[in-house]
Amino acid sequence: MPDRHSRATNFARAKLANGLSVLVAPDRSIPLVGVAVVYNVGFRSEPEGRTGFAHLFEHLMFQGSKNVAKVEHMSLVESAGGLMNGHTLPDLTAYYEALPASALELGLFLEADRMGGLALNEENLANQIEVVKEEIRVNVLNRPYGGFPWIPLPALAYDSYPNAHNGYGDFAHLEQASLEDAADFYARYYSPANAVLVIAGDCEPESALALAERYFADVPGRPAPFHGPWPEPPLPGERRKTMHDPLIPQPAFALGYRSVDPVGELERFVAYEVLAHLLSGGDASRLRSRLVFRDHSVTDVSCHLGEFGGDGLLMREPVLFQIVVHHPGERGADELIGAIDEELEQVADKGPDASELERVRSSAVAEHWRSLDSILDRGHTLASLETVHGRAELIEEYPTLLSAVPADAVRAAAADLLAQHRAVLELMPGGAR
Amino acid sequence: MSAITRPEIGVMAKMKAPSVVEALLAGRLPALAARRTALPIVELRLAVPLRRSEVEHPAVTSVLTESLLAGTEQRDRFALADALERVGGELHANLGDDQLVIAGSVLSANLGAFLALLNEVLCAATYPEREVRADRARAADETEIALSQPEVVAAQALRRRQFAGHPYATTMASPAALRKVRAEELRALHRQLFVPSACHLVLVGDLSPRRALSLSEEALGPFLAGRGRRRDDIAALSRAPFGPIELVDRPGSVQANLRVGASAPGLADPSWPAFALAEAILGGMFSSRIVTNLRERHGYTYSPHTGVRHARAGSSFVLAAEVATAVTGPALVEARYELARIVTAGVTDTELESARRYSTGRFAFQTGTLGGLASTLARLSVNGVGSHYLASYPAALARATKEEVEAAARRFLAPRDLVTVVVGEAASVHAALSLLEEVRTTRR
Repeated sequence: MPDRHSRATNFARAKLANGLSVLVAPDRSIPLVGVAVVYNVGFRSEPEGRTGFAHLFEHLMFQGSKNVAKVEHMSLVESAGGLMNGHTLPDLTAYYEALPASALELGLFLEADRMGGLALNEENLANQIEVVKEEIRVNVLNRPYGGFPWIPLPALAYDSYPNAHNGYGDFAHLEQASLEDAADFYARYYSPANAVLVIAGDCEPESALALAERYFADVPGRPAPFHGPWPEPPLPGERRKTMHDPLIPQPAFALGYRSVDPVGELERFVAYEVLAHLLSGGDASRLRSRLVFRDHSVTDVSCHLGEFGGDGLLMREPVLFQIVVHHPGERGADELIGAIDEELEQVADKGPDASELERVRSSAVAEHWRSLDSILDRGHTLASLETVHGRAELIEEYPTLLSAVPADAVRAAAADLLAQHRAVLELMPGGAR
Repeated sequence: MSAITRPEIGVMAKMKAPSVVEALLAGRLPALAARRTALPIVELRLAVPLRRSEVEHPAVTSVLTESLLAGTEQRDRFALADALERVGGELHANLGDDQLVIAGSVLSANLGAFLALLNEVLCAATYPEREVRADRARAADETEIALSQPEVVAAQALRRRQFAGHPYATTMASPAALRKVRAEELRALHRQLFVPSACHLVLVGDLSPRRALSLSEEALGPFLAGRGRRRDDIAALSRAPFGPIELVDRPGSVQANLRVGASAPGLADPSWPAFALAEAILGGMFSSRIVTNLRERHGYTYSPHTGVRHARAGSSFVLAAEVATAVTGPALVEARYELARIVTAGVTDTELESARRYSTGRFAFQTGTLGGLASTLARLSVNGVGSHYLASYPAALARATKEEVEAAARRFLAPRDLVTVVVGEAASVHAALSLLEEVRTTRR
């Protein structure tokens, strides 16, 4: 069924003299336009002793620039009838707005103004350090299962600083962040040559490219910095760690494996994606049907590729394949891991049959489309794909790639997981954090 | 950059409301369909308003949402899941304040097969004993996990306080009640709930509305043949009486979860668009007074916000902020200051124009996604508001005057009409709160 899902793209591209890559993806079905700028920098690039800095810096990008005062960025976007947000991932930082089509120029002006120069001061820096600390309290410290497994699992599964450290940051490091750090980080990583601009939605490609040129051409060019990858050798043996959380009612555990390079080995990576769906993508999937519905031994099981809540497709190597289980604690983690291994062995041994594979592909294809429902998400996904893969067309091609994965590639992916040493992280109720 | 100046926002193009086709399938089931071609999928909602007894006994309704897809006369759970996934379909049931919604989506090429599966579930769900026993245990486990989340504890405490004496005060089913639900209760509830004339069907996506509706009438034929009636029996909400701050003790909390509740106008109330503008200025926008004060000026909190929930018996307003324990007192003072200020000193013209554009754009964004438009249409239908709202609401936002916005704020947000709930470590926050007013401490 491949071709039914592949849709033509009508993207237009330009590269400005200062190095900025521009992509226009017109879609006239709704009267909104998405503007996204993705910078080729994330947690993995932040300096040692400054954990959390890439994310803190994302906050600082909303604190004012040459012609825009603090909070004015938000008020201008909202006063134009728009929405905006930003997020930081291991390999990239994204800034994006959805606006009525008539306000496209405002979005370009705001992004160009902060690409051209920030207006930071001690007061705003101190304020945003406090805001980020509250964000970490909400999402990690005051929350049962907070940060599990996305903060401690990379720390266990990797050794090198770029891959292993906590991208949300230690409070001690956040508190030491200075204006000089911010200026250095900005100078190094926030150059036009290290960014991709996407204009998606209700626009005309020629005039959108001309507007991009008009607003961004004067941003001074600087060389693009190193942006990874940071490959690591496989683990020499299984790693285990048990942590405690006094706030949780039930235990949980996570298994971390290395997958493959999404950029250099995209086809193999997509096979891992199909494997994740086959194992936990719906009630008929192998792990859910067995552990949740037949054995009643777990409350939830999920597999996914990616770290820090992000999609593995938008990362450079290495990328973890994770299996996360919440269970009532009636059976020990080892017994449950044994059952997971049996299922992996089944796949590695025989692979999926044609019928199962067909089902899993359809479900994965539909999920891909569902994830792109909002123009805000389409904008930053296009820019992220262009940044990491140099190919925003993957947004339309991915369903075809999913549909083309042969059974043998899924079998091989399961065999890869079984052959390697994994990280096993347990989270138990009680104790202290 | 000398040539570049800040662009004018320009006149906001009038956004064309999506055209919605309505029909009464088989003369019984109200159905709405709209075309959106951005993605090759169709979103579906089937909403059923709940009766008072169903709202007041959430255990059975909760387990029904877990077991609805546990098997039919034709297929067991796995065969049903397999058939759904094979067409790129996904279905699940959600329990709202006073409605149950079956929500799902499918690759648009397979809409007919998907509707046939929905029909099978509606007509022939079996609730097998063994599956129900496991589902209710899992529902109880999931509830234990949910109740460990401070935001959930805060939402429950606010409901109890804000809706005291009304069915909406009913909180999530307890794990113990969930563990007692029997399969025959689910079968009885299923028969009682899924009566065609009481449901509301919505389809949005890459489809032809008329064809999708006739396809639905055909595929859901056996379900549509069902008769029976359901009567709405939920009484209107009344205002919560003024009372002490409710402090829910959560030892070990490093934050306090502040909630300030009030009533709000319903979707059909002529003052709703004006109230929506007041709410945007107060805490709905990122550039609102609450965010500017609590987050950008003081750094007390990461994502303070306000919101409005519309339910059939009445609508409600909430202000929410998760703040560091040490600043619980001052953060509540600032939040209440902003509430009192909008009520007594009103809004500025600049704020109103910003809020007008923001709310119009936000509504276009919300109804610009397939899922968002489907959910909006289902909510309108259940609340007895026609799809003309898609055009009339933006028009009313454009018309609302400063006086109307201020009057709406005064009518609903006066300090004497607010209820306050705080979840946090009582030993650390009680002293500061009791300087403000009387505090009643409870354990959750």
